[in-house]
Amino acid sequence: MTKSPTITFPDMTRRGLGALPWIAAAGVLAYAFFVGGYLTTVMSFALIYVVFVTGLNVFMGYAGQVSFGHNAFAALSGYTSAYLTTSHGFAPLPAFGAGLALALSCALIVGYPTLRLKGHYLAMATLAIGLIVYEVAVEWTSVTQGYMGISGIPPIGIAGYEITSERGQLAFLTVIVALATLVSWRIRESRFGRALSAVAGSEDAARALGISASRYKLSAFLASAAFAALAGSLFVHVVGFVSPEVYGLHMVVLAFTMLYVGGIGTIAGPFVGAVIISLLPEMFRQFKDYQDLAYGAALILLLIYAPRGLSTISSLFRRAAAKKAVVS
Amino acid sequence: MSKMLTTGFAALVAAGLMTAAPAVAQEPYKIGMSAGLTGYAATVDRAWRDGVEVAIAALNAKGGIMGRKLELVVEDNKSEPQEAVTVYRKMMSSDKVNIFISGCVSAGNFAAAGLVARAEIPMVLCSILPQQPDQVKWAFSTLPPAGFEVDTRLKYLMDKTQIRKIGVLHDPTPYANLQKNHAQKVAADYGLEVVGVESYKQDDADLSVQISKMHAAGARAILKIGLGGTTLTAAKNIKQLGLDMLMLTSLEDIAVFKPVAEVLGDKFFFVASPSQVYDVLPDGPLKAALTAFLTPWRAKHGDRDPNWASRGWDAVMLTAAAIEKEKSFEGPKVRDGLESISGFQGTTGVYNMSPTVHQGITTNPLLLATIVDGKVKVVQ
Repeated sequence: MTKSPTITFPDMTRRGLGALPWIAAAGVLAYAFFVGGYLTTVMSFALIYVVFVTGLNVFMGYAGQVSFGHNAFAALSGYTSAYLTTSHGFAPLPAFGAGLALALSCALIVGYPTLRLKGHYLAMATLAIGLIVYEVAVEWTSVTQGYMGISGIPPIGIAGYEITSERGQLAFLTVIVALATLVSWRIRESRFGRALSAVAGSEDAARALGISASRYKLSAFLASAAFAALAGSLFVHVVGFVSPEVYGLHMVVLAFTMLYVGGIGTIAGPFVGAVIISLLPEMFRQFKDYQDLAYGAALILLLIYAPRGLSTISSLFRRAAAKKAVVS
Repeated sequence: MSKMLTTGFAALVAAGLMTAAPAVAQEPYKIGMSAGLTGYAATVDRAWRDGVEVAIAALNAKGGIMGRKLELVVEDNKSEPQEAVTVYRKMMSSDKVNIFISGCVSAGNFAAAGLVARAEIPMVLCSILPQQPDQVKWAFSTLPPAGFEVDTRLKYLMDKTQIRKIGVLHDPTPYANLQKNHAQKVAADYGLEVVGVESYKQDDADLSVQISKMHAAGARAILKIGLGGTTLTAAKNIKQLGLDMLMLTSLEDIAVFKPVAEVLGDKFFFVASPSQVYDVLPDGPLKAALTAFLTPWRAKHGDRDPNWASRGWDAVMLTAAAIEKEKSFEGPKVRDGLESISGFQGTTGVYNMSPTVHQGITTNPLLLATIVDGKVKVVQ
């Protein structure tokens, strides 16, 4: 019979440090909610990106694949929501349902052949999806209005109740993010999540264990596309406007930065990364023309000192403590 | 000792109050600007910002508007709609701006227009107007209607050339699309036929396919619609292909046109705003308005192209006129004032606003010009 381990002081310290990124990000969120101002807007965008990056994390962090094209699924869902609500009088929820179905159908059609590819080939194929959807958004002006964009999109609402206030939207997005993070956590802890880990480690080894790598990769791709679709739809209802630039390559670059700064493959990574990356430019706003310079320098420092992401910052302290113990 | 301290403290408080009172009275009137200082709109929006700065400095030198100084708050929207929403929100809640005089990133202005309209803050824009009626109510534009740029070119072709078949080459921006649609709609009124409509992306490095297609369809003149380096690309392609075609481009910085003129010579024409051909304008109210702007502009920026900056100047002067007319700095009053402006002589033309017209230049002020021996010459 084994004895259950007792919680020692270093364990508690480690757990406390592990919770630090959560606490810091949640603190900023609470501050934005109670103080208001434009920080509410910044945090609303950050939370939408949390949903998007959480999906990307399932595909890239858990399954170990690369995608440069998830902006396509956000665009498909966002434009469907915008078009159906403004031109056909749909309520936001059924419009989102249609957008989600379209994004998943597209992900299935595209994912089935491309997920047989590996590494750079898969990355290039997904990049193409993003570029194609962007071009469609620009050129199909009868539906998307091209660069003119679609405006007058109604705010988020359920059963005839519309959330118009910024605080209300922030609260709603917080609930969505909590649910998305919960789903992400459940995925990682499930049989499906363990299979994805096996695929991420070695596809050949996973196959030897009876795991169909291509099927699990496709499932992860679809799951992450669903998150992206949700984020795309949320964006148009929060802002009330959509144009192709919203879902451009800029979105992919930003999401990658958030994922790596937060910590790829971790539960907290998307949340921490999205909040930090959204706040950094605001912290350096007073630098005016040097804002981007300061932002870039901060990113480099973050990746030097926390290469596995800010959500794994507790491991840094653990390593430092271990080093100290060896020296003494 | 304590009595001395009390007296000293009271004196300090009194002094503070005395200095505080005028400070409250002279609180500046804050103008917010969301501009694409980086990204695709940087050239245009930086010029717009500089024009607004020159106008504010000129008004402040005269004591401001109704004794109240002006202050400009500029935020870079990186030419992105999402960033524009953030900076608009920042200027509304943190800087508490009274009005927006924002740049030419249409999508950014559209994305934030609902937010600004709900806060009842007027906007005077460099871009086209938002589409929603409740948003248009609060937005005004210094941009001439898109059709004016097209009409100027079509009229020249009808009056001065034998060409009757034309092609339209445009980028996908909203303003370029409006011009393209207008050209297709009114070409027949000028006895012209549009035999080809081709689009391109702003970063395209070759346009020979589009140009060849239009030439093969019979086009002997191209209406080139859009900003940036593609104008020079199109000119080089026409020359490389050895085509006998005219190219007539839309409004742009004169600096862009000089190398184009070297390539195409007398086959190149461009739409010019009055500020770009100041020297050849006859004396009159327009020239007087331009003199008022160009004197401080040239003192600060030398011979830099004044086209976009002159509209920024107009935006500030329209705001000042609206405030003085309504004798109020309140958002709704300033909006009413802007909407009732008529016969206002700006640097680009005469502004006549009304409840249904918020894009105030209603008479075509544009000219057609060419460059001969490095000098701008008006041809129409």
